Amino acid sequence: MWNKIEGASRETIEEIQLKRLKETLLRVYELTSFYKEKFDELGISPKDITSLKDIEKLPFTKKQDLRDYYPFGLFTVPMSEVVRVHSSSGTTGKPTVVGYTQADLDVWDEVMARVFTMAGATSEDVVHNAYGYGLFTGGLGFDSGAKKIGATTIPVSSGFTDRQIMIMKDFKATILACTPSFALHMYETAKKSGSGYLKDFKLKSGVFGAEPTSDGLKEEVSRVWGIDYHEVYGLSEIIGPGVSSNCKHSKLLHVNEDHFYPEIVDHKTGKVLEDGKRGELVITSLTKQALPLIRYKTGDITSLHRAACACGRTLVRMESIVGRVDDMIIVNGVNVYPSQVEHVIANTEGVTLNYQIIADKKGHLNKLEILVEVSDDVLSDSVSEMEKIKKNIQHSIANNLCINASVKLVKPRTLERSMGKAVRVIDKRA
Amino acid sequence: MSKTIKQLSIFVENKMGELSDITTLLASENISIESINLSDASDFGILRLIVNDRQKAKDILEKNGFSSKFIDVFAVEISDHVGSFNSVIKALSKQNINIEYTYTLSNAKLGAFVFKVADSELEMAIETLEKEGIHLLCEI
Repeated sequence: MWNKIEGASRETIEEIQLKRLKETLLRVYELTSFYKEKFDELGISPKDITSLKDIEKLPFTKKQDLRDYYPFGLFTVPMSEVVRVHSSSGTTGKPTVVGYTQADLDVWDEVMARVFTMAGATSEDVVHNAYGYGLFTGGLGFDSGAKKIGATTIPVSSGFTDRQIMIMKDFKATILACTPSFALHMYETAKKSGSGYLKDFKLKSGVFGAEPTSDGLKEEVSRVWGIDYHEVYGLSEIIGPGVSSNCKHSKLLHVNEDHFYPEIVDHKTGKVLEDGKRGELVITSLTKQALPLIRYKTGDITSLHRAACACGRTLVRMESIVGRVDDMIIVNGVNVYPSQVEHVIANTEGVTLNYQIIADKKGHLNKLEILVEVSDDVLSDSVSEMEKIKKNIQHSIANNLCINASVKLVKPRTLERSMGKAVRVIDKRA
Repeated sequence: MSKTIKQLSIFVENKMGELSDITTLLASENISIESINLSDASDFGILRLIVNDRQKAKDILEKNGFSSKFIDVFAVEISDHVGSFNSVIKALSKQNINIEYTYTLSNAKLGAFVFKVADSELEMAIETLEKEGIHLLCEI
C-alpha cells in the first residue's frame, strides 16, 4: 500500500470526504458564477450540506458545461496558479480543457503512485510508458506516478512499434504502461522475430487503461506477455488516469475516494442507485484546486462494491467499465462521439447526414470506418471530384478528432435503420 | 436543334450485382441504353448512360435508391479513317478546351464519340467543331 489512507476505517474516510466536500462546495460557490447560479436556482447553499448523503441534493455537471465555458471558464484559480493544461477531443471541434495547479499535480502523482504500487512496482522497476505524451493525460499521468515511486521511466510515447520493442527489451523494462490493444500489437510484432526473442523480455506486470477492454483481451495480454494485468481507470475531467485501479486480489478497481467521491446514478432520472447496481458513474472531485467539478457525469456505466478486499484496502471498489450511456466509442485510446463525425459531414458538400461509424479490429489495433450516403443528386459525375469529397472528410476527421478513419461513400438510403432510427455506431470489436 | 446531349450519371458502389441491378431496372421499364461508360475508383464508380427516355430512367433509378444527375455532353460523328478523331481533339485543344472524358457511342450507325468538357466551355466547343465542319449528333 502506498498510503495508509487506502486501508483506513470507513469512519475515517468518510470524515475526510465530508470535510473536503464542504471545502470544495465553498470554493466553487464563491469562485464560479456557473455553480453559484446552479446552487441558487435549486435554493441550496454550501452550508446546507452537512452529511455525505446530502450530496444527492446537488446539481450534476455535464461535459457540455465544460464546453460552454471553453477554455478556462470553470477554473477557480487565476492562470498564474495553473501550471499545466490537458485536453481531450470535443464534439464540435472544440476540445475539453482541464487545468492543474501544483497541488493538483501533487494529488495526481499521489494517486498514480498508488496505482503503480498496486501493480507491484517499486523504485527497482523500469517502466516502459507507451501512452502518448502531450495534451492527452495518459503519457504524463503515468510518467509522474512512476517518478513518484522512484521507478525508472522510459518515456517512449506512442508509435514506432519496432523501435519500442527493441527499447523495451534492451532497457530491461519490467512494467508496461500502454493501452491493452497496443500491448497485443507489440506482442504480435515482437513474435515475428521468433519465440527465442520473446524470452529476453523482463516484464512482470502492466498498467493498462484508456479504452474499454473485454475480459478476453485482458487475459490474452496477460497470457502472451506472461505478466499481471492491472487496469487503470480515469478521465481528464476528473484528473486523468488514477481515479481507480485493481490490485492482484480482484478485478474490481479500488477508487481513490479520498480525492474522488463516486456515486452510481440512473442516468435518466438522476436517482442514486444502491451498491452493486449498475448505472452511470458520477464523480465529485474533493481536492481539485484549478477545476473542481461537482457530481460530474462520466457517461461510463459501472457499479460500486464495498466488501473488504484481501489486499487490506478499504476503498470502495468499482467494476471495470461495462458500457456508455451515450454512443461514445473509444478507438485506440481516442474518444469518438458520433456528433463529432456529424459535424464534419455537415460541412461537406455532396453527402447527406446519413452516416455510420464502424469500429473494428485490424490485428490487435482498432480501425475506424465511416460510411456516408451521397446526396440524391450526385454532386459531380467526375470520379476525381467524388474522391476529393472522400479525402476532405478523411482529412477533417483527422484534424478534428485526431484519428485516422477510412471513409466510404455509399448510395442514398442504404445505411441500416433500426425502427426508423438511424444506427450511428456499429462496434464490431466486442 | 440543340447539339447538347443529356447524359445520366449514376453513383454506383463497387459491389457485386450493382450494375445488373441498374440494367434490370431499365430493362423492366423498356428503356433502351444507347451508350454506357463506367469510370471507377477503389470503392465506388460513376456510371454514365445515354438512354432513350432519360427522365423515366432517372425516376426509376431514384425510386430504387440510386443517386443520379443529368450532365450536358455532346457527341461527334467520326468517320472511319486515320486522323479523324485527331482532328476533333486538335480543334478543341487549339481553343484550350479541356476534355474531361470521352467514350464511344455504341449504337451509332457511324462511328461516334461522346465528349464531356467543362459546362462553361460547352458552347464554345460545339461552335468550334461546327466551324471546322465536324458533324455533331443531335439528341439521340
